Amino acid sequence: MSDEFLDPTDSVAVPRRVAARPSSLDGRVITLLDISKAKGDHLLDRVEELLRERHHPKAIIRVKKPTFARPAPEDLRARILRETEVLVEGLAD
Amino acid sequence: MDPSDDPFETLHARGVTDGLPVVPPTRERVAAMVAAAGRPAEALVALVPPNFGRATVGKIAINAVMAGCLPAYLPVVIAGVEAMCDDAFDLQGVSATTNSAAPLFIVNGPVRKRLDLNAGAGVFGPGHRANATIGRALRLIVRNLGGAAAGGITMSTFAHPGYFTYCIAENEEESPWPPLSVEQGFPPGESTVSAFAGAAPQTVYDHLSRSGEDLLVTIARSLAVISHHKSTHHGDTLLVVSPEHARLLAGDGWDRARVRASLWERLRKPVRELVPGVDGGEGLPAHVLAKFPDPRTDATLIAKFREPENLKLVVAGGTAGRFTAIVAGWTFPKMSRMVTRRIDLD
Repeated sequence: MSDEFLDPTDSVAVPRRVAARPSSLDGRVITLLDISKAKGDHLLDRVEELLRERHHPKAIIRVKKPTFARPAPEDLRARILRETEVLVEGLAD
Repeated sequence: MDPSDDPFETLHARGVTDGLPVVPPTRERVAAMVAAAGRPAEALVALVPPNFGRATVGKIAINAVMAGCLPAYLPVVIAGVEAMCDDAFDLQGVSATTNSAAPLFIVNGPVRKRLDLNAGAGVFGPGHRANATIGRALRLIVRNLGGAAAGGITMSTFAHPGYFTYCIAENEEESPWPPLSVEQGFPPGESTVSAFAGAAPQTVYDHLSRSGEDLLVTIARSLAVISHHKSTHHGDTLLVVSPEHARLLAGDGWDRARVRASLWERLRKPVRELVPGVDGGEGLPAHVLAKFPDPRTDATLIAKFREPENLKLVVAGGTAGRFTAIVAGWTFPKMSRMVTRRIDLD
């Protein structure tokens, strides 16, 4: 904002950027996050099948949010950060 | 005129408006607004989900100036920020959902008269500066500090006109019942603001009922179809009862608690009427259905609302007209709850 008008946003908040994409999924730890939307598990089951068919990940971890309506609990977020190189979040309906 | 010299065009181009012209937040205007808070501009009121922008008194004041608030309105806006940023309100979900829920702010207590907040005829409509600009300031805060801009974080399929501004006051003078604020646990005479995540109001028309019992049947049958005719396990939903309807109910001995209990009881349906694929594709979710071995014949009653307490009642609107407005809440049981906060007027 110019000096003339004050800024109604929180300009100090850290702008979020998209993480760098890996060039290959081989040897990576992939987490599939089910956010508890109806049939999200169906979608992620198929994604897991395709990942295993087409790539050679080191591991595929399946985790689930207790409810899609709220942010993931802190311990779940920490676990994903600790264990995962690639995250796929499943939104369905 | 060069558009870059026009403050309205300049502010719109910065992406900080709701599409309508805003009052330019000059230092002078914002300083006058902050002075009304009686707190320093740096004081933190809340973090606004989902981006968790810091709603300091100063940032709230800038948005209130832009919305067209008078400085005297600022304490209501601050209390509204506290209410909608409470974890129980779940502003994160309300702002992100594909559903159509916007925070509706309901003001109680002496502050209504002091600020000329409308509680009477046309309560949801335009023409009253306090209602219009307090609601708008809170929406600008959701956008500018919460980051909830349409088509980005806000994925609501339809939204509704209350996404511009959504603020009413209770018509305590015409209500036969204690105010909503007292129901919510505050002492009589205290000024409060309640935040409620609501759809657009839907008017229920009943001019012929002459008993509370008959009127409750009309209201229950109308409530039965919110979301869809087989939805169950709803959380908070609001009934805005007109003074005429409220008087009819109270005259027949119905207090708020009895109204809630009666509606809750009437709004139960047997499992056999809630089976997906029978009378419409919608119905009970699979994990509920799994509890019944033969759902197509099962007569177990399932409630539309989780608890009678999920049915919130407020009296508002003009003194002529036998109407009740349903403001459907955000549809799921463990999601947004009504949150009430004291307005600090000292």
